[in-house]
Amino acid sequence: MSLRQVVVVGGSIAALTAVEMLRMEEFDGRITVLSDEEVPPYTRVPLSKGVLAGTESIDDIVLAPLSDDVDLRLRTPATALDIEAQVVHTPAGPVRYDGLVIATGARARRLGGPDQVERVLRSHDDCVRLRDDLAAASSVIIVGGGFLGMEVASTARALGKDVTVVDLAPPLDRLLGTVVGGRVRSVATQAGVRIVVTDGGVRLLGAPTPTGVELVDGTHLEADLVVSAVGDVPNVEWLAGSGVQLHGGVVVDHHCRVAPNVVAAGDVTVMSQGNGDLTRSPHWTNAVDQARAAIRALLHGDEAAPYRPSQYCWTEQFGLDVKLVGDLDPQGEPTVLDGSLEQGSALLAWPDATAPRTVIALNHHTPPAKLKRLLRPTAQARA
Amino acid sequence: MKIVADRDRCEGHGLCADTAPEVYELDDDAIVVLRHEVVPPELERKAEAGARVCPVAALRVEQLSVEA
Repeated sequence: MSLRQVVVVGGSIAALTAVEMLRMEEFDGRITVLSDEEVPPYTRVPLSKGVLAGTESIDDIVLAPLSDDVDLRLRTPATALDIEAQVVHTPAGPVRYDGLVIATGARARRLGGPDQVERVLRSHDDCVRLRDDLAAASSVIIVGGGFLGMEVASTARALGKDVTVVDLAPPLDRLLGTVVGGRVRSVATQAGVRIVVTDGGVRLLGAPTPTGVELVDGTHLEADLVVSAVGDVPNVEWLAGSGVQLHGGVVVDHHCRVAPNVVAAGDVTVMSQGNGDLTRSPHWTNAVDQARAAIRALLHGDEAAPYRPSQYCWTEQFGLDVKLVGDLDPQGEPTVLDGSLEQGSALLAWPDATAPRTVIALNHHTPPAKLKRLLRPTAQARA
Repeated sequence: MKIVADRDRCEGHGLCADTAPEVYELDDDAIVVLRHEVVPPELERKAEAGARVCPVAALRVEQLSVEA
């Protein structure tokens, strides 16, 4: 039976790519997009940079609008799924589908208690609040030193704020490895950022708005503003009891399938690796890759080409542009393919130049497609 | 249809060129270059897809008026 009515739940890049792909694959039925956001689909990438700094607005980050024949319903969260009846429930009433794309993404993880109104950065709403608080603050503590936390640190420092980053491990190491992680940290430190590595979890102090953190050794750090950048939580609550398999996210197969005529893509998913392991890959390119695979599977079933991760992510901070392809957290010393770390522009490969599993371009203008071609052939075949 | 590329915003992720190589390419500095002043009608859908996938929203789609 061919599909006539596809409902896409979500309003970010995975949802948008799904719609795009439906039309590219000549699907000519109805497409309905249910987004809980107030604003049309936008890219979150600049939220930690220009939008947080106040130099860009929502107008600068909205993505090319969907064509008129797509029914985009903003402020319309999905509240429940009835797989048997093929209905998504919303506060505005039920929406019937014969093909469903789950792309509800994730929200910021929080550390604080119920009495605390914690600052996080995930949605445009979060960003507007944080931007105003940051403008009024002279000091900020950022809990979490991943890409997001360090990008917020970079933006805050550029605004002249006193910036401290707190994490359980040296920031960025588990993403970029110790060599590039160390390099970025040293630039951040030279820019005036204080980095505090603590042995255990932190507790947010102050309510309703946290103004400090307590480290595991009892040390108190204080600031005008505390930002939590401690990862994200998939938005799966609406799927409870639906029969959709949930395990730290919506479990999808290698075609991004969930159930008959139901697929999922983006940050909401966890992918089964066959050996029982489930992995999450909450990055922009993964959302795009998964959405494309999901639509192919929805329309063509087993014959569709499976999901192939492009394994690409990046960060921009402290004047450094870091692009990574391949496995995260490369171990040991890299082979320098071009430039040098000391001179500030380098192309680096791990574990060696002949069969790299990870390539990083640091302030080195190599297109990611070219970086991918440097990966060892087996990794490419796998990818 | 016309694509307007903001080369200052472009960070060289190349997703546009991956998605629609007939419309976009990257120059030696990995900055986007448009292959057509006006997008040929048969490439419009791909051009839009390439614009929409840009993570930094550096690509705008402009519909040319019928008179133009």
